[in-house]
Amino acid sequence: METFLNIVIVGLLLGGIYGLVSMGLNLIFGVVRIVNFAQGELVMLGMYGAYLSWYLLGLDPYLSALVVVPCLFVLGVIIQRFVLQPLQNEPSMQIFATFGLLILFQNIVLAITRGTGYSVHSEVSRVVLSFEDINISLSRLIVLIMVILVAVGANWFLHSTMYGKAVRAVTQDRRSARLMGINVELAFMLTFGVGSALAGLAGVLLAPIYTLSPQIGGNFILAAFAVVVLGGLGSVWGAFFGGFIIGLIEAFAGYYLNPELKHAIWFLVFIAVLIVRPGGLFGIAGAEEVGLREQD
Amino acid sequence: MMKLTRRAALAGAAMALCLAAGGTAMAQETFKVGTINPYSGPLALYGGEVNRGYELAADAVNEAGGILGRQVEILKGDATNPQEGIAAVERLATRENADAFIGTYLSAVAGAASETALNYNKLYWDTNALATNLTERGLPNYIRSGPYSVSFADVSIDLILNSLAARLGKQPGDLTVWLEHEESVYGTSIAEHQKERLEAAGVKVLGIGAHSYKSIDLTDSVLRARDANPDIWVQTGYVPDGNLLLRTARDQGFKPKATVFVGTGDTKETLEAMGADGVEGLLVVSYPRPDISEDYGPGSKAYLEAYRAKYGEDPIAPQSMAAFVGFKIMAQAINKAGSAEPEAVSGVLGSFDEPLRTYETGFGAKFDDNKQNQRAYPTVIQWQGGKQVTVFPDDAAGDNKMVNIGN
Repeated sequence: METFLNIVIVGLLLGGIYGLVSMGLNLIFGVVRIVNFAQGELVMLGMYGAYLSWYLLGLDPYLSALVVVPCLFVLGVIIQRFVLQPLQNEPSMQIFATFGLLILFQNIVLAITRGTGYSVHSEVSRVVLSFEDINISLSRLIVLIMVILVAVGANWFLHSTMYGKAVRAVTQDRRSARLMGINVELAFMLTFGVGSALAGLAGVLLAPIYTLSPQIGGNFILAAFAVVVLGGLGSVWGAFFGGFIIGLIEAFAGYYLNPELKHAIWFLVFIAVLIVRPGGLFGIAGAEEVGLREQD
Repeated sequence: MMKLTRRAALAGAAMALCLAAGGTAMAQETFKVGTINPYSGPLALYGGEVNRGYELAADAVNEAGGILGRQVEILKGDATNPQEGIAAVERLATRENADAFIGTYLSAVAGAASETALNYNKLYWDTNALATNLTERGLPNYIRSGPYSVSFADVSIDLILNSLAARLGKQPGDLTVWLEHEESVYGTSIAEHQKERLEAAGVKVLGIGAHSYKSIDLTDSVLRARDANPDIWVQTGYVPDGNLLLRTARDQGFKPKATVFVGTGDTKETLEAMGADGVEGLLVVSYPRPDISEDYGPGSKAYLEAYRAKYGEDPIAPQSMAAFVGFKIMAQAINKAGSAEPEAVSGVLGSFDEPLRTYETGFGAKFDDNKQNQRAYPTVIQWQGGKQVTVFPDDAAGDNKMVNIGN
């Protein structure tokens, strides 16, 4: 029983990581309707941002979020304004552009670091909470708490603020929203900025857990795409619960069956869900085609 | 704008001609060795480190009269993947007239590059690639002077049977081991060989766990090993997964009596990830380091000094010393053969019968039918107080002692 509980906790903690990485990706996809291939690289930049703040300013990686998250927000706004907006009427070109950004970011970091693996130090990352036989690393628990806060916060923002309502209106129908006097371009920039800032937040919180490499974003992004599609494209709760579902499947399959098979198993579940609900668990029918989604 | 007079232009042209002529004259005099390694991309640090070994060896060989009476010149061929390996060999063989090739940090590059070198009938001497199948191909121009994956697996088992068992006060029959490995052919082939040898010695292998080196989470792998409760935990993989395993093991309170890493885990990258106390006591099977005893590796101290003198720092990774030794053996072989033709060099390999502990790395030289040096073995270091200390084999360790395990 204790082992079972332990695996549930492992799965939830892992799900928190997946959810956090997926949140920004899903927001951008839902609103701007761009599959942002560079999202993993934005997470990677967040990680290196945490490293830089630690190395240059001596900031604890968790405090560095105060610097890194706003920087990534600005970077996101810049990307939307100067790279994606000029290509607004050519959706496939936008995808190529994000792919180009992926290669650009990876290689810039590669050139600077020469590919050596860096590690970020935080006293927090060494703290482990133990209950009987169950061990919870504090750094992973922080990720879990943060993903809950972000999901609740994003939900509140989209439902209870005028900006949020504007973003939802743009999502549902760009043209009508424009006719209602909503500045669509601004909503896109804001959304891409927030999506990018969320990637930065994920990077900062994950930096103390991993060894940093320029390619590390790719390790997260495959799972994030699965989470987003499984949970429902464009849905905040889709990314949230999708993350936990994938995390739990991975933990159970890895422990009870075979770590070699865990990815095969979550892709099986993934395909099964898509057959039954093509829009994902929390998406509504048709979302997979037009990115339309309802937030309730 | 600079004013270009007719006279200046003429003088410039004459100078360019002289330089070009000088260049060709030089080209005929030097013995050109193309060095195939990643000099860009994520592994540039290690490719460059291997090349430093070649440069130091070239200095030593040149001092002793060069290869075939010619001074050695090194031509770098950047290859981060097999396609680039092919392109680099083609460029160096055709445009630069390389006489022979040496490499390789990456096994996949070695495979493709050596086949391309064969098209030009050039020797491909390998000092660092690990994949077993490279020599098993029986390629006529491919010779490997360094250890390969089987030697790494063998040394990890020798360590367990000849040193750790006694330290833990156990007979091999009472010893339990968990083998963890990354899931590609590299980790899998080593783990299979380890299992075979351990079971032949009566050691109980409690389980074999495979994982992807790109994994986001390895808690499942660690919990499986922890719940099996082995005496010794053995991991074969790369740096990111090794670091994540160590972190997760610490978080999950998994403390086997001894932890043995094969291939990686002995660099600054692991030390920085875990801190000095996080890696304390960890054993790593890796290339021989310059701190091995003079009895085991004659000249290793002199190598370290030459390295420091030339590069102003300590070696970044231990691969360079194996590269250094390999280059020297190659020079010996070509000089013996009187030619750099693959056939001629292969022909003299049989005459090599240098015992272990001949070269700086403790290697000897005795080649089998596949042109694999059977007398090249890695050594084992232990992290002690944030430093890598060679602790096995005993005669390589010299005065160093293994700490924190048993007793």
